[in-house]
Amino acid sequence: MGRIVGIDLGTTNSLVAYLDAQTGQPKCIPGPTGSTLCPSVVSLDPDGSIIVGEPARRRLLTQPERTIYSVKRLMGRGPADVQSELKLFPFRIDPSSNHVIRVQFGDKVFTPPEISSFILRELKNWAEAYFGETVARAVITVPAYFNDPQRQATKDAGKLAGLEVLRLVNEPTAAALAYGLHEEQRGKVAVYDLGGGTFDISILKLISTSDGDIYQVLSTNGDTHLGGDDIDNLLQAFVHERILQNDKIDFSPHGELAQELRKELIALKHKLSEVDSVTLRFPLPNGKVFIHEFTRGALEALIHPVVDRTMVPVGQALVDAHLKPAEVDEVVLVGGATRTPLIRRTVQEYFDRKPHTELNPDEVVALGAAVQANILANGVQNMLLLDVTPLSLGIETYGGAVAKVIPRNSTIPASAQELYTTGVDNQTGIDIHVLQGERELAKDCRSLARFTLRVPPAPAGLPRIEVKLLIDANGILQVSAKDLRTGTEHSIEVQPSYGLNDNDIERMLEESIEYAEQDFAERQAIEARTEAESILTATAKALANPNAANLSVPERAKIDSCVAALKEAAQGSDYKQIRRQIDELNQATEHLAELLMNSALQSALEGKKLAEV
Amino acid sequence: MASSLPITNPPLVCWNCHERTVGTHFCSSCGKVLQVAENSDYFAMFEMPRKLWVEMTALEQKFLQLSWKLHPDNFMNATAEEREISLKRSSELNDAYRTLKDPVVRVEYLLAIEGARKEGQTKQQAPPELLEEVFELNESLDELREAKSSGADTASMKHRLEAAETNFEGKLREVDGELQNAAREWDNAIDESADPTRRKALMSKLNELLNRRSYIRNLVVNVQKELL
Repeated sequence: MGRIVGIDLGTTNSLVAYLDAQTGQPKCIPGPTGSTLCPSVVSLDPDGSIIVGEPARRRLLTQPERTIYSVKRLMGRGPADVQSELKLFPFRIDPSSNHVIRVQFGDKVFTPPEISSFILRELKNWAEAYFGETVARAVITVPAYFNDPQRQATKDAGKLAGLEVLRLVNEPTAAALAYGLHEEQRGKVAVYDLGGGTFDISILKLISTSDGDIYQVLSTNGDTHLGGDDIDNLLQAFVHERILQNDKIDFSPHGELAQELRKELIALKHKLSEVDSVTLRFPLPNGKVFIHEFTRGALEALIHPVVDRTMVPVGQALVDAHLKPAEVDEVVLVGGATRTPLIRRTVQEYFDRKPHTELNPDEVVALGAAVQANILANGVQNMLLLDVTPLSLGIETYGGAVAKVIPRNSTIPASAQELYTTGVDNQTGIDIHVLQGERELAKDCRSLARFTLRVPPAPAGLPRIEVKLLIDANGILQVSAKDLRTGTEHSIEVQPSYGLNDNDIERMLEESIEYAEQDFAERQAIEARTEAESILTATAKALANPNAANLSVPERAKIDSCVAALKEAAQGSDYKQIRRQIDELNQATEHLAELLMNSALQSALEGKKLAEV
Repeated sequence: MASSLPITNPPLVCWNCHERTVGTHFCSSCGKVLQVAENSDYFAMFEMPRKLWVEMTALEQKFLQLSWKLHPDNFMNATAEEREISLKRSSELNDAYRTLKDPVVRVEYLLAIEGARKEGQTKQQAPPELLEEVFELNESLDELREAKSSGADTASMKHRLEAAETNFEGKLREVDGELQNAAREWDNAIDESADPTRRKALMSKLNELLNRRSYIRNLVVNVQKELL
């Protein structure tokens, strides 16, 4: 049978976990660097190979046009949906994109599910290296507020990565599973999950029965485009504006400089969760250094709108669960962004209780996915998860209105039957349009599928066709139809309004084989080469700086010889040799790095490696 | 229709062992999950009579118990056919619980399976005794919309609408009370095995109350939308 792993496919980081049979507890699997976090960054090497994770993240600085982050924001969306994102994210959308977005990477284009599949394949490799065996089945988490196309895109990504996706589990629900197992807590639990790009709130009831524990989701709400990314964007916009005013330098979001600044600001944001003030010193291309002191108070004033936006779905979820804030027994915080003191304070005040932060907010979703994977591997034994659909399902009626057939927060699987007949004699088709959302008009809801029911010619009103809409345990729509007069099942070709059709997937599966099975050493060599490239670029840049003239002759000679040695090692495939040369070059350039810092920078950057400056 | 008797499905043939079986959810001879029976309804799923007063804790417990057994998580390693049946059965269970736990939806459902639900034209038509008030309300709504579009002061109109909203919310509570009484009458009729004529009369009363309720509710929602 093989193992089933749990995967958290995140906006910023992705993780893979499994349930340890000995301890009965879930555990995250570390990658080659020892970290369990795989940055959700993908880069396409000029030689055609795909680089994922930490090495790809470093390439954001050196090869931004061949590297992409936060691709989760594009999953299951059409080109028209993402126009506002394009101002803030360096996505290069292929202009020929129609119903499916295609992202340009250097000379190639990939769809968001393909890009996500590269991340999933990397995690699959981590798990296989860890277990020493093939891993072919997985549970993957998605934001609870993901709609049908977003879920379908995630499932497609799994398939393209060579994984059978046994279940999509909602992220806050997964967190509750991990939390419930850990704390053995019962009662009503609110899970506040602010990730890199998405926000979810879920209210659950944890029930002990004689059969075992039931995790019943009462309601869920959220915003699939609200997260830590938005905090970073606000910070970046603030600094861009200042630099534009003071130094007349305009940052394009695509550029290297913007990426470097973003990296600094994210580090600064993290520090401000620990200390009260941090000074940003950012060297500008005109030789000046942008200096600005950020206090925690100023940061909080800046990000207040983001935090306020999360509280609207929180209120709605409580209303839908028929609960007042005080009736919630426990509050659990999930997602890296919930380390922000302002968020902790806001949530604590709203529910009037201290939120749980015992579990690592980065890992808890993957851990919960591993728990669900174990349930599916062994059959329900002492735990059962009952989740809900986050959005109402409806059918377009006369005049462009929507008739809701499955209300939001219905326990899934859920279904609805609608009866159709013809309006005129010998009508041969009935058009059906299925939508998801809470608005009253079809044009304001998400179109899921359109199809035509074929009807044999008959007098008007005589045909009786029953259409059945079913939302499965993954939150994905299935459609079937039955002719009630003859009892025959109709086959329906549902053309998804967004996303890939079966032919697309088949073609991509064929193409994906060329990126597939690289052996471990080969992957390590590729990663090491990437790192080599990034340090070589940084060294060349540093040597071009006027301050480099202050190097002693032996120092300069040492650097030159290390550069040559690294270049030579990078030609080969021995990753250990490449790593050794990287370390040597790092040592040789320590003094150079110091020289490059002017007096203002010196204190802040002492002891840093060149690549980090 | 023998609604007063405890409901059990008529014997059917198990898709798996081909034996005649009397189980509601699982085959009494081989234990496999059964297909959705053609003539089954939500009350039968919960093995409840077609009565309108439902003990919520018992309903929830039965729901959780059946969830353990029917949920697709239990059938991951089963045959494709069984997985398909489990998906249908568990969606039907969730649909049933969603329907029966809401008192108004429950009445609508009961009337639907008894063939007595008639939404008809009444949805658009004001009940006669409300005609005057509804006419006034619609006038006030029009005035407010006009004032809004011309940018005039809307404070006094809003005030009037708020009063009307309170008035109709009161009527909504009234109709809910009447609905509750009629539901109790229905349950008594079932307990007393009342004759078809009396049942028919009760069902048509329930139907009329539902239509009245949905009409008033629409009014309240429309006013609330304008006041936002």
